[in-house]
Amino acid sequence: MINFDEEIAKFQPSPEVDEAEDVINNNELSDITDIIKTMLKELKAK
Amino acid sequence: MKNTCAMPDAPLCGEAGSDFGSLGWCCVSKIETQNTAKRGGQNGAMIFQTCSRETRGENRKIYGKVEMIMICPMCGNAVTAKRNRCEKCGEDLTIFRKMYLLANRYYNEGLERAKVRDLSGAVLVLKKSLELNKRNTSARNLLGLIYYEVGETVSALSEWVISKHFQAEENDADDYIEALRSNPTKLETLNQTIRKYNAALQSSKQGNDDLAIIQLRKVTNLNSHFVKALQLLALLYMKNGETDKAVKCLTKANKIDVSNTTTLKYLQELGEMSASLKEDGKAADRENIRKNQEPALFPQTSYKEDKPNVWVFVNLILGIAIGILGVFFLIVPTVEGKYKNQLKKQEVEYSAQLNKNSQNLTSLQKENTDLQQKAEDLQTQIDELGEAESDDTVYIELFKSASLYMEELMSGNTNDMDYVKVADALAKVEPNELDKQEAKDLYSQIKEGTFTEASDELYDDGHDLYSSGKYEEALETLSKAYEYDSKNVDAIYFIGRSYHQLSDYENAKKYYDIIIEKFSDTGRASEAQQRLAELD
Repeated sequence: MINFDEEIAKFQPSPEVDEAEDVINNNELSDITDIIKTMLKELKAK
Repeated sequence: MKNTCAMPDAPLCGEAGSDFGSLGWCCVSKIETQNTAKRGGQNGAMIFQTCSRETRGENRKIYGKVEMIMICPMCGNAVTAKRNRCEKCGEDLTIFRKMYLLANRYYNEGLERAKVRDLSGAVLVLKKSLELNKRNTSARNLLGLIYYEVGETVSALSEWVISKHFQAEENDADDYIEALRSNPTKLETLNQTIRKYNAALQSSKQGNDDLAIIQLRKVTNLNSHFVKALQLLALLYMKNGETDKAVKCLTKANKIDVSNTTTLKYLQELGEMSASLKEDGKAADRENIRKNQEPALFPQTSYKEDKPNVWVFVNLILGIAIGILGVFFLIVPTVEGKYKNQLKKQEVEYSAQLNKNSQNLTSLQKENTDLQQKAEDLQTQIDELGEAESDDTVYIELFKSASLYMEELMSGNTNDMDYVKVADALAKVEPNELDKQEAKDLYSQIKEGTFTEASDELYDDGHDLYSSGKYEEALETLSKAYEYDSKNVDAIYFIGRSYHQLSDYENAKKYYDIIIEKFSDTGRASEAQQRLAELD
């Protein structure tokens, strides 16, 4: 049996169009390629 | 058309007289790279561009050999995919190439999942693809499409904008963003649904389930693909014990995203999962089979336009009908009652006025009777006075004639007396109206003294007129002579003669008969007899 209050609490507000800029700016855009590039640069520096 | 190949100067392969650029590359996969996100072509999802090395043959033709290249992440140089090391910077690209291949593999898997509406699964693998290679614009565009499909418009927009950031030109995200931008009404509607959803979520967290349900129903009417709204609405229905409605909402959500764990959990909770999934599973299988049989170059998109909502019009019509009924049942009786009260009030006023008028009528009738009585009395008095006046007139005429008679007598010569004048004055007196005996005696005395002589004078005048042929004037004068003396047989004879001359034989015969009957012993009788014989 599910707990309705807990289930409702799991729902999060959906971002509105006015908040699109914040959503884009807060998006984490680093990928593994960036991490590897950083690691390789550090190794070369050593 | 611009080249989308990784080689910035490489023209399209196959263009006659094309310059193959400084690196000797031409792009042969322009079409594929343009429509990658829509069609899900595997090659388009890769950062490797399918380019062909120009062999600079004599005829400058394009050759069938296709090679894969990749961009060196360290220096940005285009490197043939076969090479493990960058020709420019000398960096080992083995690890990067494997990561890119893995990212492409995740993209392909995400595409396959999206095709069968396993949207939640597709989102997971597409995110993995982007974690490996953030520049995989095809994966990012597809992720945006999936977000848009489940109602997360802002998330979709953000993915497309980021995709545009990494690939400024020849990006499918341009079309998606432009499609939204060119239809502000649609975008505003989508934003309204998000706002209402957030408000409903707030209401539900505060315990206002009824308000939240109303708001969520509006949200799902505006955007029937908003999965989170459908799930929240279903949860509130479940909380209120309305399982049928909850199942309906979850079934809709399940049709949009078949593998959403939240939807499946709620359905399982409701015990309806098996039945609904069996039907939907069969339908999904049939759909998958059909799609797999279609050519790979033209896969169907998962995006569909919303169907027009018929319930809006039905609700509108119902609202109008209820409004009309409300007018009939609420406003009309009120107005009717108001008018009835006014009519009753007017009726009472008119009744009072009528009573007052009746009383006035009675008093006026009584007054009229009194006045009539007075008028009759006055008329009686007037009649009495009139009689008295007539009496006076009679006496006045009598006195006038007496005065004339006395004047004629006083003149001395009886032969010159104007008897006709006196007789005419006396003729105006009505002897029956004379009350006094003295007046009657006076009348008789004047009459005896004047009428016979007046008749003779008139006879003479009438005879002269007759002799001169003036029969009508003679008739008038002779008739007057006969009036004053009914024994004047000459006057009677010439009256008959005058009628005879005027061809009025009937009257002529009448007067001849009078002479024959009343004066048979006179000479006029034989003459009348003779004239009568002429007429016969």
